[in-house]
Amino acid sequence: MHPLRHPRNAIIVGLMFSFIGVVYWFVQYRANFQTDIAGVTLLLLLGVAVSIMAYVLIAGSPND
Amino acid sequence: MASDSRAMTPQDHSPVAGLAHDERGGISNVVLGMLLFITSEVMFFAGLFAAYFNVRANAPQWPPINAETGEAFHLEILPLVGPATVLLILSSFTCQFAVWAIRRGDRTAFLRNIGVTFAIGVTFLIMQGIDYTLLYSEGITLSSGTFGTTYFTLTGFHGAHVFGGAIMLGVVLYRGLAGQFSSRHHDAVEAVSLYWHFVDVVWILLFSLLYLLPGKSPAGV
Amino acid sequence: MATTALHPAARTYRSTLYEWVTTTDHKKIGVMYLINSFIFFFIGGLLALGVRSELAQPGLQFVTDQVYNELFTMHATFMIFLFIIPILAGFGNFIVPLHIGAPDVAFPRINALSLWLLPMAGLLLLLSFFTVQAPAAGWTSYSPLAQDRPLGSVGPGQDLWIVAVVLVGTSSILGAVNFLVTIFKMRAPGMTLFRMPIMVWTVLVTSVLGLLATPVLTSALIMLFIDRNYGGAFFDPRNGGDAILYQNVFWFYSHPAVYIMVLPAMGIISEVLPVFSRKPLFGYKAFVFATAAIGALGFSVWAHHMFTTGAVYLPFFSLMTFLIAVPTGVKMFNWIFTMWRGKLRLSTPLLFALGFLSMFLIGGINGAFSAAVPVDFALHDTYWVVAHLHYVLFGGSVFGVMAGLYYWFPKMTGRMLSEGLGKIQFVLMFIGFNLTFFPMHQLGLAGMPRRIADYSSTAGWNDLNLLATIGGFTIAASMVPLLWNIFVSLRSGKPAGDDPWEANTLEWATTSPPPPYNFDHLPEIRSERPLFDLRHGHAAPAATAVVPQSASTSH
Repeated sequence: MHPLRHPRNAIIVGLMFSFIGVVYWFVQYRANFQTDIAGVTLLLLLGVAVSIMAYVLIAGSPND
Repeated sequence: MASDSRAMTPQDHSPVAGLAHDERGGISNVVLGMLLFITSEVMFFAGLFAAYFNVRANAPQWPPINAETGEAFHLEILPLVGPATVLLILSSFTCQFAVWAIRRGDRTAFLRNIGVTFAIGVTFLIMQGIDYTLLYSEGITLSSGTFGTTYFTLTGFHGAHVFGGAIMLGVVLYRGLAGQFSSRHHDAVEAVSLYWHFVDVVWILLFSLLYLLPGKSPAGV
Repeated sequence: MATTALHPAARTYRSTLYEWVTTTDHKKIGVMYLINSFIFFFIGGLLALGVRSELAQPGLQFVTDQVYNELFTMHATFMIFLFIIPILAGFGNFIVPLHIGAPDVAFPRINALSLWLLPMAGLLLLLSFFTVQAPAAGWTSYSPLAQDRPLGSVGPGQDLWIVAVVLVGTSSILGAVNFLVTIFKMRAPGMTLFRMPIMVWTVLVTSVLGLLATPVLTSALIMLFIDRNYGGAFFDPRNGGDAILYQNVFWFYSHPAVYIMVLPAMGIISEVLPVFSRKPLFGYKAFVFATAAIGALGFSVWAHHMFTTGAVYLPFFSLMTFLIAVPTGVKMFNWIFTMWRGKLRLSTPLLFALGFLSMFLIGGINGAFSAAVPVDFALHDTYWVVAHLHYVLFGGSVFGVMAGLYYWFPKMTGRMLSEGLGKIQFVLMFIGFNLTFFPMHQLGLAGMPRRIADYSSTAGWNDLNLLATIGGFTIAASMVPLLWNIFVSLRSGKPAGDDPWEANTLEWATTSPPPPYNFDHLPEIRSERPLFDLRHGHAAPAATAVVPQSASTSH
């Protein structure tokens, strides 16, 4: 199956946003900057939401 | 256009296989629509959680001191919230039993389980309501500083979602009693059960966050 | 070719009012989205004329400070929430099912709900003018100005604003669910994802943004409502709240929102350019990935609106903001290469598309300047930002809307719009737009802050402000040929036929306007240009790898 059609890859694309959230937390932590925890939370949960969304869209799509 | 008959064939090893695929390989529009709506609700709660974490991070102490009593705010798990949580988790099970029942065409078990789920949902709301009145009588309200505002907003909107879910369960129960569902056609049951599981997961997160997560004390104490 | 047995002659809608009000047909709903949006466009435009009239000269000539604040607040609110976001949803509504060969959207009744929420929201906003104080805290409604306290936003006006925006948000979220299910589940056989028109791809990404970002705005506004009405402590520092928290949660939505406001317009341009250059779109797959990249990156730049608060980790957001220029640049080059060596037909849709390309380019460049933190520290909250946002939203999105209007009016109504009047509108609008907003770059660099009702006569800003006001009235003048064009063409415009532009996509394979069920026959779909293939089948490019099982077109 083409990589873009595999539902598992859809989850990975979604978790990319969570990864950016982790990066966002990390760069602030390393810089001793008061972490914007609201932004980190939003990005982490966005990754979860995008994963679910991408997964159901790809897995629930017709075959052609 | 492709006819709407839906064979119960699993698609590869996909977890959505239990949610039947039609002959073109797609899941029902209604179920897909509900799943997407659920993802939007995830982001709604994300905004509320983000505010909560921010408030916690900014506070020198959590739970903060109640200005009126001079002591830190405190939430009781018993006798209301803890059992309500157990009941809600139980209702997810009964909801899923109902789905499995209608998938195999067992209308009696389906109706029974949906009825129980609905009843538990209503019970949860009543218990939450009583808990609110108790808190209010202790002086903890929406305007009790950051603690009260975040607590009531988070649990209140969760409660609103439980209320919406209960209404949907009621509609499903009514339609089920009227004989509108069969093993081949029960999209609404699948969709509502997904929503109900979502509501339950959110509560588990909320409960852990508000009741179980350790607080923080001021530095040096 | 596509005339049907049931509708032998193209004719405009003559259905009753009742049928229109209760319809679930995506085409009628799309048209009503357009009508509703244009009404609020004119209201927002009048408010802008109020702003510009006051600013033409130093001194307060027409309004008080308070009323001025209401003018710019409501101007932006109407334009963003009741004009540009819905009108692009309206184009999507009309076009997407036709583009993918579907008979309607997935949830037609929810579609109707999404539509009717909008005039309700608009009504609430209009009602706020009759309360003790219309919303005056900016469309961004920052705390503590938006709080219910002395010198803040006292009275129900701001609450009406909150409710209205939440209603619009609900409409967007429901619409997003509808579009996503439609696009993923209801494509005609042969219409693979990578054969869909770019317009559909932009609507897809826009819907993802709307689905996931809008609820965050809802949460922010609900928290503000609780602060204002229930003594909440989220954002008001007086109660222990955090004003910066509001900004973070607000912009987490409002930055993806600007892509919601521009991506479908980019989709329109991507439809117009190939047709009027007589050439295929250059770099189809690159367009798809660039659109997806813009959508994805758009979630990680929100705090570039907050650089000067001191509460933002600057390097992260500056870097991410610069990164967005890359996929946008890819799209720019692809559009240019689409036209390169093409046979250009300088009809009105193409003129507006060219206007989009040049004006959006300027808006993108001045945005890139602002992405540099030191530059933004100097230019934040000055007229530079007003210039930037109008170059991308007006020069970009509105020009895209006009291109779409001239391009699809024939399909929607069965009549052509007059080319002569269209060109007059374009010239007036282009000149007026640049006259209004180009001087604002200089005004910003010279230090003029935004959201001020008055300025010192010795600051050196007088001439440019007067010029901008003249430009504003020129834009208003350009609305006259537009309205005249629409009304005259509806009555006696040239009949359009199925495919007046010799275009490429499926909507032109049916009558103008289409029958309620959209298609009698669908052409075979083997590429992203099914109609071109039908006309020049022997010269069509090799089919892409996927061969659909059901090759027949009859249903």
